[in-house]
Amino acid sequence: MADIYDLKQKLGLGDAGLAGLGHNIFTAPIEELVKWARRRSVMPATFGLACCAIEMMATGTAHYDMARYGMETFRASPRQADLMIVAGRVSQKMAPVLRQIYDQMMEPKWVISMGVCASSGGMFNNYAIVQGVDQIVPVDIYAPGCPPGPETLLHAILALHEKIRTGELTERRKSTGKGAGFELSHEHAPDAQPEPVIIRTGRR
Amino acid sequence: MPDSQPNAVSVTINGTQIEAEAGELVIAAADRNGVHIPRFCYHERMSSVGMCRMCLVEVDTGRGPMLQPSCMISVTDGMIVDTESDQTKRAQEGILEFLLINHPLDCPVCDKGGECPLQDQTVAYGPGESRFIEEKRHYEKPIPISDLVHLDRERCILCDRCTRFADEVAGDPLIQFTERGNETQVLTFPNEPFSSYFSGNTVQICPVGALTAAPYRFKARPWDLEQVESTCTTCSVGCRVAVQSSRNELVRYLGVDIDPVNHGWLCDKGRFDFEAIKSPNRLETPLIRDPNDKDQLIETTWGAALAASADAIKEARSGKIGVIGGSRLTNEDAYAWAKLAGSVIGTNNVDAQLGDGLPGKVVLGLPGATIDEACSADTVLVIGPDLKEELPILHLRLRGAAKKKKVKVVEITPLQTGVSSYAHRSIVCRSGEAAKTLKSLLTSDDELSQEIRSGSVVVILGRSSLAESALPAIEVASVITEELPKAKFLVALRRGNVRGAIDMGLSPGLLPGRVPLENPNDEIKKIWAKVPTVEGLDTAGMLRAAADGQLDVLILVGADPLVDFPDQDLANRGLRGAKFVVAIDNFPTLSVANADVVLPATAYGEKGGTTTNIEGRVSRLAQLVTSPSAARDDWMIASELAWRLGGDLKFSSMEEIWSEIEQVAPSHNGITLEKIWADETRDGILITETSIQLAIEPSGETPVVDGYGLRLISGRKLYDAGTQTSNCASLSALAQDAELRVNPTELERLGIQDGSEVTIISTKATGVAIAIADESIPRGTAVLPFNNPGIRANLFINSELPVTDIRIETR
Amino acid sequence: MGYLDGFKITFGKLFEERVTTEYPKEKREKPDRFHGRHVLNRYEDGMEKCIGCELCAGVCPAKCIYVRGADNPEEAPVSPGERYGFVYEINYLRCIHCDLCVEACPTEAITESKLFEFSFDNRSDAIYTKDELVVDDQGLPQKQPWELWHVGDDLKTSGWMRATASSGNPAYENRVGWSGELGYGVREPERGQQFDESEPQNLDGKDDQD
Repeated sequence: MADIYDLKQKLGLGDAGLAGLGHNIFTAPIEELVKWARRRSVMPATFGLACCAIEMMATGTAHYDMARYGMETFRASPRQADLMIVAGRVSQKMAPVLRQIYDQMMEPKWVISMGVCASSGGMFNNYAIVQGVDQIVPVDIYAPGCPPGPETLLHAILALHEKIRTGELTERRKSTGKGAGFELSHEHAPDAQPEPVIIRTGRR
Repeated sequence: MPDSQPNAVSVTINGTQIEAEAGELVIAAADRNGVHIPRFCYHERMSSVGMCRMCLVEVDTGRGPMLQPSCMISVTDGMIVDTESDQTKRAQEGILEFLLINHPLDCPVCDKGGECPLQDQTVAYGPGESRFIEEKRHYEKPIPISDLVHLDRERCILCDRCTRFADEVAGDPLIQFTERGNETQVLTFPNEPFSSYFSGNTVQICPVGALTAAPYRFKARPWDLEQVESTCTTCSVGCRVAVQSSRNELVRYLGVDIDPVNHGWLCDKGRFDFEAIKSPNRLETPLIRDPNDKDQLIETTWGAALAASADAIKEARSGKIGVIGGSRLTNEDAYAWAKLAGSVIGTNNVDAQLGDGLPGKVVLGLPGATIDEACSADTVLVIGPDLKEELPILHLRLRGAAKKKKVKVVEITPLQTGVSSYAHRSIVCRSGEAAKTLKSLLTSDDELSQEIRSGSVVVILGRSSLAESALPAIEVASVITEELPKAKFLVALRRGNVRGAIDMGLSPGLLPGRVPLENPNDEIKKIWAKVPTVEGLDTAGMLRAAADGQLDVLILVGADPLVDFPDQDLANRGLRGAKFVVAIDNFPTLSVANADVVLPATAYGEKGGTTTNIEGRVSRLAQLVTSPSAARDDWMIASELAWRLGGDLKFSSMEEIWSEIEQVAPSHNGITLEKIWADETRDGILITETSIQLAIEPSGETPVVDGYGLRLISGRKLYDAGTQTSNCASLSALAQDAELRVNPTELERLGIQDGSEVTIISTKATGVAIAIADESIPRGTAVLPFNNPGIRANLFINSELPVTDIRIETR
Repeated sequence: MGYLDGFKITFGKLFEERVTTEYPKEKREKPDRFHGRHVLNRYEDGMEKCIGCELCAGVCPAKCIYVRGADNPEEAPVSPGERYGFVYEINYLRCIHCDLCVEACPTEAITESKLFEFSFDNRSDAIYTKDELVVDDQGLPQKQPWELWHVGDDLKTSGWMRATASSGNPAYENRVGWSGELGYGVREPERGQQFDESEPQNLDGKDDQD
């Protein structure tokens, strides 16, 4: 048993799982292969919420033909989908539903925020609309526009492909150090020493 | 403006019959009845000139309809006015076409664009197209006519509003029309800027973008402004202002016309000091003295700073704690601090004034007058600071009343002031001897004495010079209560909400609601955990006690005694003598730098609440922006400290505090929150009730004249090195360097060259200043501004003595 | 043979021309009224047209434009006149490309191009600052790293006119609102509803100015 463990370690297949693959001279091409396979079959989940959905459907038609990228069918079941294209306004009431769908998707999974309403609330800066879907799910690519045309969406999909190609295989957050636009920093960690301020006096 | 003619006349405006007062202008009558007549030059607070002709309407007085400027003719009985007839419309279109001949199309870049009367009225009443195709008139684009105001003559439509304001209202006729015909333009005199304290008002009343304010230039456009109505707390007059912000940053104040106070005017300091609030110098985080290096303050958390303060207060000997300051606070904040000091800490060592005002008991004990009463009394006695420098809008109101011959202003002063120019009589007395002068005036058989005695009198009373103690002013009060028992007083205190702080009990011997400490009311006994019984010390007393090691903790609530207390030496010894100093402030002042814990507080515009002006008028403040940092409201700090000291102030919002004030303070009973926020109380709610009995014991002492020395006179200037002003980029440049002004004969006597450096010697300190010969300064006196850049007068002042004498020597 | 009827269609389509546009390689022709990302134009002498008047920000329904004006530095003016756009930012995660800013602009400083390719992987990239929006020395938009340009995509950047006047007043139809000598790539106006074939088109608009 111990031998097998050692062997796995040597091959980079230890507890790190697939993540260990990238650091092994033999398995490096396998990582490329996995990435290629993933980016060539990103199956989107249907999440059309408003006008953007019309453009999203148009992207699937013959004129633009999303199927060229191996993503021919919108999967109705989130368990069969890799990509959630949030197309349209997300109301506060839709937010938990959206999150649930996202949680039901299998890893690896990606999110495209399509249109300005999904990205930031757009012109609906009001109580009813979530001001940016990245408050609920981590967004990989924002495709702005009102609505974005099919070609803009295709550009976003290509940008996502590029992200899958260049990103870390399983730990894609690590590559950028940020999730949905948030940057983590350790400036205010409790052990940081306070900076002295300029006030200087001769008192005491 | 109705000229006090009660007989009503009946006028028909646009077919509707209305009642108007005889003598009222047609345009004013129309305004009152909701009929808008377009106008540029007419302003209800100034005289009519009929310059712009925009208000032409068809008037029929029985001789058939004809076009008349409605700002120049008064209503008569049976008059028929038509503001919408074809003839009127043609006239309006013609006038606007004329006005636009030379008006450039600057609207996109003009600061007025979007709120411009010319723009609006062109859309509403204009012809739509112009026949003018020739070249427009050209002048040099904006020329700065003062440090605060830019003039663009191309845009000017010659309405005479600014020049009329400068001449009629402000009394600084420094801008005038020059040239003639097509060349007519508004200009300053050569090499003489429009350096009026009220220049900002011309920007506000300019109906086009000809006059623009330098601090607001290109800062925002009207459509991205957010606005609330609030009350100015720069001085204690309490002018109504519209506070405007863009992107969470204050960018402009505008005067709001309310009848009892400011008539729409603001002084330039009040108008432009919003710059201080967004200043990068603001204190942002709590600071605490570095345990490793006692010379510096380091950033800390609120928890640590409050814990350190609470520990110091707990460790202090009972009653050996003092709270100085509070006039920056709102009424609610002041109440919270009074409650913290009284019911939790258990001390009456509280004083909102820094030894530069009058004792709280005197302020509340004197029969109060309003500004309106002062402006309609037969005689106004001004015995106090230079109103133009300290309370500019009160000066403006008084000047307006004097110019209209409504009041007779009599001034007793140690030197010429802004009031002297319109005073019926300006009596110059030696500093500290106003009471003696007044008594001899009132007891003489002078005609003036008879006039004063026969009519109603309002006394504007304050400290003529900060080099005097409060005693001479109290003597004046005692002379007046003796000689003129019916006289009413308007106490000229300068600091923002000093009156409110005194009302809330931040003054030794007082409890909230103008109640004496000896005789607490039942409500306070019920609501406060304990009520102090021993009268505390005032600021001078606290500093003296601290210097002698008799005070363990000093809490400075928006107070900077090192700069503002008129005895720097004592303030210095006091701050050093106290074991622990807590400073709550907006800015790193000199005193803040000497504190052990510094807590940042929110500033004006960042919190709501109420404020009280010199008359005792409670008006509301509004919050518009959020504080740029971790700053907290002063009442929150008080509340938190109370909790850490094992007490509980039992409120968690401004509204709850006000409800408690309404219960506890007998003078404020019945003034509910709903009343404060009601539309009818936009002008504020005047509180006159007081339970304080005036008790003045005249000392009878006259200060000894030092035959060799010069009597020091020191007053504040509008633009000085004060915290607020020095943190405003545009105002700090206006503060003049401190100079010692002396009568030329005195300089000659001492063999000192005009403009040379001299050594000033007093019992407290020695310092160097430039001596300037000034004919207007009486002999035997020397004038040094209290807090201007350079040398501070409080270095030399001995607060123990009624007056301060100095000697000067050549260097 | 009923069940084979459907295959006839499929079979027939095999010989028809393909309708798919191979997107990254080729793009579909964009309609005249297409609203892409904005550009900030310059005059021929290199001065910026934007005067920082904030009218675009004021009219923007999504409040995506942030403009601040400032005094033009005298020695090196950025734009003609007293004031210039000191800050100019458009947040493309809010912009709905309604073109109201273009209509509000008094100096034709802001116009929309036909560029549509902007996908971002973080929010801050989506805020285009003045440096990115302003045209280069040739008056052409600046290429952003993520944009995919084909030849000629950058040429359509300047003012054009709708068929109907913005105020709805037919008297102003066909009267070109922009001054033709300024800017780049001025396009022909659309024909108005009252378009008269016999009248010659006036493109530079000089005579039509009031």
